[in-house]
Amino acid sequence: MSEAVCVEILDTPLSVEKASAFVSDPAHGAIDIFVGAVRNHHQGQDVTGITYDVHKTLAEQVLRTICAEAAGLWPDTRYYVAHYQGDLAIGGVSVLIAVSSSHRAESFDACRYVIEEIKKRAPVWKQEHYPDGKSEWLPGHSLAEAEGPEVRHG
Amino acid sequence: MSEIKISMKLFGAFRKYGDSLELAIRPGSPADIVKETLGNVLGDSARPLIRDSVLADEETILPGDYIFDHDARLSILPPVCGG
Repeated sequence: MSEAVCVEILDTPLSVEKASAFVSDPAHGAIDIFVGAVRNHHQGQDVTGITYDVHKTLAEQVLRTICAEAAGLWPDTRYYVAHYQGDLAIGGVSVLIAVSSSHRAESFDACRYVIEEIKKRAPVWKQEHYPDGKSEWLPGHSLAEAEGPEVRHG
Repeated sequence: MSEIKISMKLFGAFRKYGDSLELAIRPGSPADIVKETLGNVLGDSARPLIRDSVLADEETILPGDYIFDHDARLSILPPVCGG
C-alpha cells in the first residue's frame, strides 16, 4: 500500500481534486473532505481578507503527527492535509483535509479530529484585514502547554 | 566564549518587529532566559505576548528549561490559530 499521509503547506490554490485523488483507495467506500474558507465577517466586524503566516517545516511535521495520531485512533484510513500560506481574499480556501476509510463513520470522525488539532497545534497565524485598511493578528491557542510529540524535552 | 548568538525568526503578531533578529546570551542559558532577553530587546509591551509564546527550532518546540550551549537558529511562536 502507498504512503497513507500527504501534508503540504502551499502558496498556490488548494485542490479538492488532488486531495480526493490522494486518499482514494479501492478498499475505501468513504471520503470525507473538509474545506476551510475565508469568511467576510468575524465577531461582528466586516473582513476583506486574511494573511496566513506559517512556520513551514514545523507545520508540516505537526500535520504529519496529527495524521499519525488519527490513523492510530481510526486504523486503515488515508489522509491529505494542505494549509495555505500567504494572502487570501473572501472565499479563498485556507485549509483542505481529506480522509478516506472503509466506512463513513471513521472518515467523519478522523477528519473532525484533524481540523480540531490543527487549530490548537499547527504553527499558523491569521492576520485579518478590514475595510478601513487596518489589520489585526488574531489571538489563538498558546503552545506553551503543548504536550504533543513535537515538544523536545530537555 | 563569553556569549553565544541566537538568530530568531519572528512569526504572527511578532512580525511588527521585523522578520528576524539576533540575541546574545551566556552559554548554558535556558530557553526562558532567551525569552527574557527577547523582552529586553522588544520592550515591556511585548512581554505578555512573549510569555504566551514558545521557542522552536526547525523540528520541535523547546521547553523552558532547554539549555543552549552553542549558537542557535530559533523561532518565536505566538499563540496559533490555523485553519
